[in-house]
Amino acid sequence: MKFKILKALDVAGLQVFDPVVRLICGENPPEQFRKILLFIGIPIITFLIFIGIWTYLAPRHTTKAGEVPTPGVVKNAADGIWVFHVRENQKAEDFLLEGPAREKALAGVQARIAELTPLASAARTKLGELETASKSQIDQQVGPLQEKYNALRKQTRADEKAREEALIAQADSLPIGDAKARDAFLAKVSEHEVKSGTEKQALKDFKSTIDAAYADKFPEMESVRIQYNAYEEELQYLSKRLDYLTEGNQSVKISEGQSELVDLQSAFLTAEGGKATLKAAEKVLKQEESIARIAESSYSRPWTFPRQIVRSVACVFVGFFIGSAIAIPLGVLCGISRVFMAALTPLIALFKPVSPIVWLPIVFIIVGGFISDPETAFVHPAFLSSAITVALCSLWPTLVNTALGVASVEKDHINVARVLRLGFFSRLFKIVLPSALPLIFAGLRISLGVGWMVLIAAELLCSSEGIGKFVWDMFNNGSSQTFAQMFVVVFVVGVIGLLLDRIMIVLQRSVSFDGAPTAI
Amino acid sequence: MSFLEMENVSVGFGLEGFRTEVLRDASLSVEENEFIAVIGFSGSGKSTLVSMLTGLLRPDKGVIKLKGKEITRPGPHLGIVFQNYSLLPWLSVYGNIELAAKKVFPEYSKAQRKEHIERYIEMVSLTPARDKKPGELSGGMRQRVSLARTLCMQPEVLIMDEPLSALDALTRANLQDELVRIWEEDKRTVVMITNDVDEAVLLADRIVPLTMGPAATLAESFPVTLPRPRDRTSLNTNPEFKKLRNEIIHFMTAMNKEAKMLRVDRGLSMPDVKPFDFTAA
Ligand SMILES: Nc1ncnc2c1ncn2[C@@H]1O[C@H](COP(=O)(O)OP(=O)(O)OP(=O)(O)O)[C@@H](O)[C@H]1O
Ligand SMILES: [Mg+2]
Repeated sequence: MKFKILKALDVAGLQVFDPVVRLICGENPPEQFRKILLFIGIPIITFLIFIGIWTYLAPRHTTKAGEVPTPGVVKNAADGIWVFHVRENQKAEDFLLEGPAREKALAGVQARIAELTPLASAARTKLGELETASKSQIDQQVGPLQEKYNALRKQTRADEKAREEALIAQADSLPIGDAKARDAFLAKVSEHEVKSGTEKQALKDFKSTIDAAYADKFPEMESVRIQYNAYEEELQYLSKRLDYLTEGNQSVKISEGQSELVDLQSAFLTAEGGKATLKAAEKVLKQEESIARIAESSYSRPWTFPRQIVRSVACVFVGFFIGSAIAIPLGVLCGISRVFMAALTPLIALFKPVSPIVWLPIVFIIVGGFISDPETAFVHPAFLSSAITVALCSLWPTLVNTALGVASVEKDHINVARVLRLGFFSRLFKIVLPSALPLIFAGLRISLGVGWMVLIAAELLCSSEGIGKFVWDMFNNGSSQTFAQMFVVVFVVGVIGLLLDRIMIVLQRSVSFDGAPTAI
Repeated sequence: MSFLEMENVSVGFGLEGFRTEVLRDASLSVEENEFIAVIGFSGSGKSTLVSMLTGLLRPDKGVIKLKGKEITRPGPHLGIVFQNYSLLPWLSVYGNIELAAKKVFPEYSKAQRKEHIERYIEMVSLTPARDKKPGELSGGMRQRVSLARTLCMQPEVLIMDEPLSALDALTRANLQDELVRIWEEDKRTVVMITNDVDEAVLLADRIVPLTMGPAATLAESFPVTLPRPRDRTSLNTNPEFKKLRNEIIHFMTAMNKEAKMLRVDRGLSMPDVKPFDFTAA
């Protein structure tokens, strides 16, 4: 049992947790503690240091979208994303509920509303009180300052006017053509201007201290406001739910429609006269149609971030499979035939360095040519374009590694094939491919990593629903809230990339027969 | 005409101009069901000889014939046991042997094939390691797998390239007995390469020395007339065995000396220089 776990950890490249398992099994605890400290403790400490530096540096840089978010803010943003996702799912579920389940959910929602409403109004009163209190306090503080400021401004203006008048008087008596006297006057004017400038600056400074005093709110008020906003938000959400559980609910709509239909049908039965009968018949048909439409409809859920993540992962795998399906056969052919390799080399060399940013628009246009109507198509063209771009950018490592693996099959193994007189295909599938498999998988692993990186850029560019689009939307939103959500994306992308890599490591190791160690 | 026949074969490696001839005018004829041992020093061209006998390498000059037909390409009837085992590392012991059995006996049913394979695994006493990968086996075990794989093809000629050289003395003795047992069990023509004179004398009907390379050739053979079964313990005191062994060892060492002399003659003449002592100045 223990060794099975240890082996699994080893295959997954998670040897780090080896001492933990051993410790649980009670194997040489001091040694295991030392190892845990070394290989788990130190990474954790490094991470904490990173968080610390981040917390320290973030508020020191203010951008157009507000302060750079601290880890705490980012955490809140992540929670917000999750809450949004859960609520949207709930709404979609509510829409489809019927019968007793709907009533039960409705009761729950109403109870929660009843519970929240007084709390929210209490918070609102509290907030109002605090606001007036803070306003009066600020007025008290700022009032004298403001008066002083007003006086100062008046004084400055008067001074300036007086100086100006004095200068005018002096200019009046200036002899004409006397350069020296005029130079002296010029100096005086300049002196006057400098003086007015400094006075104005002093006024401005004073004003900004007053503004700062205004902005200086009660810290208590801020927390109450956050609380109040949270209540309000939830109430809003609950009222939406209420709607989807009552009037907006599918089953409710249908039953309403059906009762209407019954009326219409009876009206049709008793209708007299050609024109009226025709009209009634049309009405019945129309109503039937609309009921069918409602029955088919579903809640139009927005693309929440978790759903975008799922779609991105799906997209990267589609691209990765397309890429591999091209790269592996081509690589095998390259490895087998020198001629084929020579033929493909210029193409590989030419296309390998092309960036996804270049591929994407080209692919997008080509794919768009095949799919005329994006809404009814089997796959969304933006999704397909992103996948193909991923494929185009990520197939190279697999291609090159496959060619290398196939070309460098050991001569001894080829000799075995010769002695057995294996045909082309059994030689390929029994000797060449198995021996190239570890290298092929090493290539696939690199490819998947490249693909994941490329995908985000591709989605961003062609606004295919996914992580890339989320980033782009958040960037365009430009508020401090969305700024923090972009930081969440960094971690999500990193973690998923890590997981993909781990999966590939496990696959790679399970096909490697030479016990090749994994890189981190 | 003999069963396996090699006439004035020459072969070399390398490009024109830099060509080194490994074998020159080597001739050998092996009778059906004869056990031949070829002995030679390392690097003298034994493996090259094996490659040619099994058709993996075509000679530059001369022909090699099996039952009067020229050997032009390798095949399962020319069973080779490679010096470095050449097992496929991604297949288990069973899988490695199965690959050969499937190809050579496609007409076997599943059960028949399984029985066939297991018989040969049993023959080299590897049944407990049946599902292990070559990477998990010791050198000797791999050697035995390689042997079993070749035997299961039931080749007309069995050509073994130093099949026991990687083994320790005890295992080696064991496997030698095993080889004799297998050979006696189902007789066939065997060419075994070895670098061990005792082993050659113990196993073979005839011993053919390979002279020193480059341009090695096969010298006059020593027939081994000791009666079978030969018992290794009593053999050590057998005067005939001792005599034959000494003869061969003499022949080989003399050849070695001769080759060394030749090499010294061809050696570069060194310039007559002495180190200058700078510290004395
Ligand atoms: N593919 C090759 N290309 C060039 N030279 C080769 C090649 N194969 C063998 N040789 C040369 O031929 C000579 C004989 O090699 P061979 O492998 O037959 O020796 P051997 O007698 O089997 O040695 P050992 O007992 O160490 O296995 C060596 O000098 C080697 O350098
Ligand atoms: Mg050799």
